[in-house]
Amino acid sequence: MRTERFWNWFLAPGGVWILLLFALPLGLVLALSFGSVDDFGRGVYGFQLDNYADVFNAVYAPVLLRSVGYALVTVVLCLLIGYPVAYFIARFGGKWRYVLIAALVIPFFVNYLVRTYAWVALLSDEGLVNNAIVDLGLSEAPVQFINTPFAVIAGLTYGYLIFMILPLYASIERLDRSVIEAGRDLYGSSFQTFIHVTIPATQAGILAGSVLVFLPTVGDFVSAQLLGGPDTYMVGNLIQDQFFAASNWPFGSALTVVMMAFLAIFMVFYLRRAGKGEAEAVI
Amino acid sequence: MSEIELNRRQLLAAGAGLALAAYGVSGCTVGRPIDRSAAGNIVEPKIDGDLLIYNWAQYMDPAIKKDFGEKYGVEVTEVNYDNLEAMMTKLRAGGNYDLIFPSGEYVNRLRKEQLILQFNREGLNNVDDISPFFQAQWFDPNAEFSLPYTYYTTGIAWRTDKVDTMTESWNDMSNEQADGKIFMLDDFQEGIGQANLINDFYLNTAKPDQLEVSKQTLLDQKEGLRAFSTNSSTNLVSGAAWITQAWNGDLVYARNQVDDPSIFAYETCKEGVPVGTDAMCIPVTAKSPGTALLFMDYLLAPKNAFRNVNWNGYPQPVAGGREAFAELVKDEPSIDVNLDELKGGENEFRLDDPEARKEWNRIWTEVKA
Repeated sequence: MRTERFWNWFLAPGGVWILLLFALPLGLVLALSFGSVDDFGRGVYGFQLDNYADVFNAVYAPVLLRSVGYALVTVVLCLLIGYPVAYFIARFGGKWRYVLIAALVIPFFVNYLVRTYAWVALLSDEGLVNNAIVDLGLSEAPVQFINTPFAVIAGLTYGYLIFMILPLYASIERLDRSVIEAGRDLYGSSFQTFIHVTIPATQAGILAGSVLVFLPTVGDFVSAQLLGGPDTYMVGNLIQDQFFAASNWPFGSALTVVMMAFLAIFMVFYLRRAGKGEAEAVI
Repeated sequence: MSEIELNRRQLLAAGAGLALAAYGVSGCTVGRPIDRSAAGNIVEPKIDGDLLIYNWAQYMDPAIKKDFGEKYGVEVTEVNYDNLEAMMTKLRAGGNYDLIFPSGEYVNRLRKEQLILQFNREGLNNVDDISPFFQAQWFDPNAEFSLPYTYYTTGIAWRTDKVDTMTESWNDMSNEQADGKIFMLDDFQEGIGQANLINDFYLNTAKPDQLEVSKQTLLDQKEGLRAFSTNSSTNLVSGAAWITQAWNGDLVYARNQVDDPSIFAYETCKEGVPVGTDAMCIPVTAKSPGTALLFMDYLLAPKNAFRNVNWNGYPQPVAGGREAFAELVKDEPSIDVNLDELKGGENEFRLDDPEARKEWNRIWTEVKA
């Protein structure tokens, strides 16, 4: 008993950290979301619901829907690109597998903003890719890649792909090979075995990866700001503008709270599924 | 299951706690009360300590700071902000900066909020030669809280090799020759402002019916836009923009980036040329306000204005600065502005009414959404 109490003290530093730098600021955001703006453009704490009424103004519906739509497409793309990569490394990487994983992770040490700027340089109308396209005669005029919804989604996919690959890699690596062999023994083709055995067995990784990609993507603003056009405004941009351009912190806070509540629904759904999956695994 | 229920109960308790906390701070302002005891003082230009400058990045020739430090035996340090809202937040939290560079609008807000110090221009050597328009602007009518640093006009830049049908009008923002290659500044005042000018309204109109018309203008213009962006020089140089609303200083920068600067031209529009000022102010929390005032005067000296303009490409409305800028843009004189034409000041952005400001922001957000 006494030793347990001793070990509990190890929670203290992390607990204080979370309380001071996460819970407290979050509480301030929540408090400010009920506030208003004074004549100097300062946020004033208060207790009124005007900001929430503004959030549910129909004008912002397309922004929210667009963000969720981009995020869903991004999840699907990350899955389609990430699964084969993770599968290959986990099953055929052999002694190179850690090198390959490192090769995937290292580019993500570079700041997301800087990496996105690199895309601008590559894909702009007179950038490297377009110069190559024109020089090779593939197209007479440069192709407009950036300032389109496709560019925003491509930027998001690139930006968050690693969050899909790592959990997928973990679950594929843990996969018992004899299960696949059993599938083949039961006269399943490779494709059938993959669909009916491999994918269900790595479901946990798929789910974890999807959630890890979906959550930050919905709130992203960098990709839309640098690669977007006039119709790619996302909820992250909306929130950022409230803080840095419109001097309306209370409205920005209300938007943040609503977005977090919305994302929490997905999180709860995920935790329940994951919990159920674990229970089944035990049985 | 019991575990989940416990979590739910904890969650509810935490939520109630936060709500209570929210109720507790109700009425308080974000930030903490700062020491405004210096607010009534009138700053004199004399060395009273080392200088801490708070400025946009890449906005001042480092050689000027170095020379000033050597001449007066003080240490000059510069830190940077990347937007004015962040600068305001730091000041309200009590940041001890000695010198800041806010836009006219922000000078107005800083002054009303008692965040900047008053000073007497009489002891300064280089203020007499400030262009008349910039001597006492609306945000500082008695010329006691600020000195002008740079100014900028808003016009339209275009690619002369792609577009040949410009009309010196804000209607060029929907020129069909450049359909889908047009950029609008991602700035609510510049965006709504040019729409107001197209519709022949006062630049800063707060009339709801007029703003509704301008909103429609913006929505029509949006059809032909490639994006909203403030990176005008990058957009021009990368080839993305054939036409872009732009500040004149960005043109100087863009033209310096390419082998043949004549592909970028600039026009000011007959409906009106919005003009803005970045000023110099001393925060109320400054530790060395006297040194700051001395340095402001030093920046306005003809020799320093001349090299500063050559360094950052933004015009300064003082002797030396005017000549330097005219020389920089001699191949494309439209980038320069005839300062005598700026009298009256009807094309300065000024939204002093908080309600109007909110309304403008709402319209801009709805246009971008």
